[in-house]
Amino acid sequence: MDILDYDFMQRALLASLMVGLVAPAVGVFLVQRRLSLLGDGLGHVALTGVAVGVLTSTSPVWTALVAAVLGAVLIELVRARGRTSGDVALAVLFYGGIAGGVVLLSLAPRGQATNLDSYLFGAITTTSAQDVAVFAGISVVVLASVALLGQRLYAVSDDEEYARAVGLPVLGLNVVLAALVASTVVLSMRVVGLLLISALMIIPSAIAQLLARSFRQTVGLACVIGLVVSVSGTTTSFYAGTPSGGTIVLLAIGLFLLVSASVAVRDRTARRRHRRKVDVHDAHPHEHGDDCGHPPVPHGDHVDYDHDGHRHAPHRTGEGVHYDEHGAGPVGAPPSRRTG
Amino acid sequence: MKDSPPTGSPAIELHSATIGYGDVAIVRDVEVTVAAGEAVAVLGSNGSGKTTLARGLLGLAGVLDGQVRVLGAPVGGLRDPGRVGYVPQRHTISGAVPATVREVVAVGRLARLGLFRRLGRIDRSAVTEAVAAVGLEDRLDDPVASLSGGQQRRVLVARALAAEPELLIMDEPTAGVDAANQEALAAVLTRISAAGTTLVVVTHETAPLAGVLRRAVVVDHGRVAYDGPLEQAAAHEEPGMHHHPPAPRPSGYRQDQPRVTTGPRHDGDEER
Repeated sequence: MDILDYDFMQRALLASLMVGLVAPAVGVFLVQRRLSLLGDGLGHVALTGVAVGVLTSTSPVWTALVAAVLGAVLIELVRARGRTSGDVALAVLFYGGIAGGVVLLSLAPRGQATNLDSYLFGAITTTSAQDVAVFAGISVVVLASVALLGQRLYAVSDDEEYARAVGLPVLGLNVVLAALVASTVVLSMRVVGLLLISALMIIPSAIAQLLARSFRQTVGLACVIGLVVSVSGTTTSFYAGTPSGGTIVLLAIGLFLLVSASVAVRDRTARRRHRRKVDVHDAHPHEHGDDCGHPPVPHGDHVDYDHDGHRHAPHRTGEGVHYDEHGAGPVGAPPSRRTG
Repeated sequence: MKDSPPTGSPAIELHSATIGYGDVAIVRDVEVTVAAGEAVAVLGSNGSGKTTLARGLLGLAGVLDGQVRVLGAPVGGLRDPGRVGYVPQRHTISGAVPATVREVVAVGRLARLGLFRRLGRIDRSAVTEAVAAVGLEDRLDDPVASLSGGQQRRVLVARALAAEPELLIMDEPTAGVDAANQEALAAVLTRISAAGTTLVVVTHETAPLAGVLRRAVVVDHGRVAYDGPLEQAAAHEEPGMHHHPPAPRPSGYRQDQPRVTTGPRHDGDEER
């Protein structure tokens, strides 16, 4: 493949592989915690770090890492202290971050590489060999932390109050998660871009949620999806000459729409089949229960109601309850379990 | 298995304790001591402060004045994780990301393992046993979102049971749970109470758990109005509190809760 003949493309593909794998692994916890936009905010903060790096002629990757992690810790401390002021404090930090970045970058001496677009939206030509090494280090640290602390992070993201009540170190785990997000943001600054990284954290998770049954499955699937859209988006951007970050995110959104539509069609088909398979009382005059006058009849793993010689089995769906016909008359020995 | 506290050392001590949020006091001057192994109902009408009292024991509401000690340590200080179990007053598990019953209940067990230890074989079987104890073992690997409201309540109970805590604090564990499963819950609580677990149950209906709970603390307008045997508590409660159906449904009661038993009963497999 000629795409791999270019050194910069090899590095870009490596970087996209790492960010594609790592971003969703962290993002699932943010979605669970309903803090989807934390990555976006930390991307803003990282820009100030980038500017400091450019101005002081140090590697912007390192200065961005320092700025993003500091911002992340600060955000968690603000969040832990109170709610009402927290929201405003976050806004100040986030927009302060991007404003500081833009102003500082404008002060950079002429001739400095200050291509703001490439930091914000990603560019395939910018990844240096040194960047790849730093990214690899970050990826190992983030993935190892998720593997080691994943269940605790899940516990805190799922039900923070319960975690606190039973004595888990909630603040510590929240700070760790925020620091992982900050590191992932930095991982994104070459290929995906600081303004778009949040999408690569959140959208693969959103797609995986539609398909998975467990949290573990969601994490695994989200990582695979992230990897695929990230690498294929980078490749596409090489051939189409488009910015890599935008291309990757559009691919992810396209996949999200496709999967959402397929799931909706699948659910509708399943519902229609269910209706065809069993007689369904859509408009049942009342809800069967202890006091409805129809005797309950145990039937496998559930209870039917003997409704004038028919056995009605309650079937609860997202839209409410309807009754399936489970044969005529009460039975002595219930037939084997059937789905209904 | 469980480190039993030294004999006679109380599980809970409240000395002229005032509990609230921010600087707003909700319950005042509480003077209650619960010995290890007791089973106590916290009763009171809506807004009486009974939930705040329980949350104060968990460090979820602030101790504004006085002393609150739980399992020998002041609330809010460092505590061995996993010794206190908690069933929140929540009717559903509403995580954005799918999770199975097993995964949610495993979180309960996780609390006692510290920061890095993974669930071992004993922990995993404790998780399955806790799920079986609430009658949901055939739903272990189903997403919790596919369960009814009452079943999700039972998952939250299983999560607390999985830790095998020394002190179990439950907020309305029977609300929205059908009669058969209320009985099953009473059986589980009877068993762990007999094994020495201290129980604190915040509730508006004592009937389902009357066989387990011996003592009642009645909270009224932010003060303890009665503390004594459960049977005599009724006289000290406000009119309008009912112990028998048909009671007015508590706020937040979900209409879509099951009125039929959806899982097999578990009267037989109570041993652990």
